Amino acid sequence: MSNKKDLGADELSECVQDFYQNLADRLMGHFKGSSESVEQVMDQVEKYIMTRLYKSVFCPETTDDEKKDLATQSRIRALHWVTIQMLCVSMDEEIPEVSENVVKAITDIIEMDSKRVPRDKLRCITHCSKQIFSAIRTTKNEPASADDFLPALIYIVLKANPPRLQSNIQYITRFCNPSRLMSGEDGYYFTNLCCAVAFIEKLDAQSLNLSPEEFERYMSGQASPRCSSSEGDWARADQAPAATNPFLAQLNHNLEVLSGLSSRQESLMEAAHSLQADLLSWPQSVQREVNGILEKYPLEVPSRTVSAIDANNVDNDNLPPPLTPQVFAG
Amino acid sequence: MAAGGTGGKTYSFKVVLLGEGCVGKTSLVLRYCENKFNDKHITTLQASFLTKKLNITGKRVNLAIWDTAGQERFHALGPIYYRDSNGAVLVYDVTDEDSFQKVKNWVKELRKMLGNDICLCIVGNKIDLDKDRHVSVEEAESYAESVGAKHYHTSAKLNKGIEELFLDLCKRMMETAQAEERLKGNGASQSASSRRGVQIVDDEPQATPAGGCCSSG
Repeated sequence: MSNKKDLGADELSECVQDFYQNLADRLMGHFKGSSESVEQVMDQVEKYIMTRLYKSVFCPETTDDEKKDLATQSRIRALHWVTIQMLCVSMDEEIPEVSENVVKAITDIIEMDSKRVPRDKLRCITHCSKQIFSAIRTTKNEPASADDFLPALIYIVLKANPPRLQSNIQYITRFCNPSRLMSGEDGYYFTNLCCAVAFIEKLDAQSLNLSPEEFERYMSGQASPRCSSSEGDWARADQAPAATNPFLAQLNHNLEVLSGLSSRQESLMEAAHSLQADLLSWPQSVQREVNGILEKYPLEVPSRTVSAIDANNVDNDNLPPPLTPQVFAG
Repeated sequence: MAAGGTGGKTYSFKVVLLGEGCVGKTSLVLRYCENKFNDKHITTLQASFLTKKLNITGKRVNLAIWDTAGQERFHALGPIYYRDSNGAVLVYDVTDEDSFQKVKNWVKELRKMLGNDICLCIVGNKIDLDKDRHVSVEEAESYAESVGAKHYHTSAKLNKGIEELFLDLCKRMMETAQAEERLKGNGASQSASSRRGVQIVDDEPQATPAGGCCSSG
């Protein structure tokens, strides 16, 4: 594989898929048609080779996967205003269990990017789907059909904005063992994820039951469906904010907290200024004090007598005369 | 010879379930796989992906039933769902003319995308409400015949016709699969990429679909 770096993504995929196919056929002969053991071996094979190949074949430079990732990411960000009601999702987030399921589903779908093996990525999608199913089940008290599931999955994808979504989907499509992807349960959830992404890409006013003007306003950020459905509501909402709209109440609360914060900030600044002034005046006062003390007790250096032993003419008289050599006869 | 071990072979079929919102798709599959209808005690978490194991004339069949979102806004996503499927169950509500119209649209699309490789079943559900019927039996059956599909009448509530519908569908899918195997046996010596949605050479179109799906433009 290392000497095939210049191959396109499709050719790489072809190589891996041919390998899967040939190996599966051989194993089928070896195990005499026990498809279960073949599947187990194939899972391990996929795990091994895809862990090794991940770095060179995930989002390869030869494709525009990365560009698509960025496009999808900003698309989802631009759609942040889409509400659960617009998508007609049958999940009631007011129920604590449901909102817990939603949070877990979001975590699961985000976690997909951190896995290397296609099958592990698929498993993340499956976990996410199971969370959605229990959320729908709790809300509606009946098993979820695809009519409920797909909108909910779209909502989760919009909320989660999973990293490198397109790259991950492409990677799974290219390198997952096809028997999993085509018919199994994991494959079904993966297909739904593909549908969700396709829907998000093509989403327009009609698919949310909005008028084109409304859609444009939401997209450009001029209005937000969360606060008010039209500008006219603003005036009314202003008069009794807390009663009319929980979001306005939240907004007001936030404003209060913010103004409290700013006044605290101001007092902090004042304190800081006075501290600065104090610091500046302190050396001066110290200087003054020192000067005062110096004036009070002028510096008197007592003149000390310097003892200079070797100096000439000093008390020479007191000393005994120097010894003179005496000559003895003999 | 090439299709070695056919005797103990397990067939795996993917069947997509198409139909508008309230035609009773979910009830239909829940009745088939769990034998339950509007039961308060249904423990199943979901009814969008269900499997059923069958044994038909000594051959094991694994049936995977894929429910699809039927709302109009998701219509364009159809091809992603029914890619590589062996069969399709198209459900309409006999009391709702509109839902039958939707079925016709899907049939056109399926034939265009998948040709004759896919076994189609058109299902008129809710025959327990026969007195409010708005889609005539003759119309539905002649339409089904014209597009090479089989027509069934079912009631999930009364558990009528459902078992037969799926059994029949499985048998037809097995025939199609066996025909493909024979073709492959004659043509290529080794099954190189049987799992990757290989396209078998087209047969002659059996019938010209009334909807004009073959209009090459």
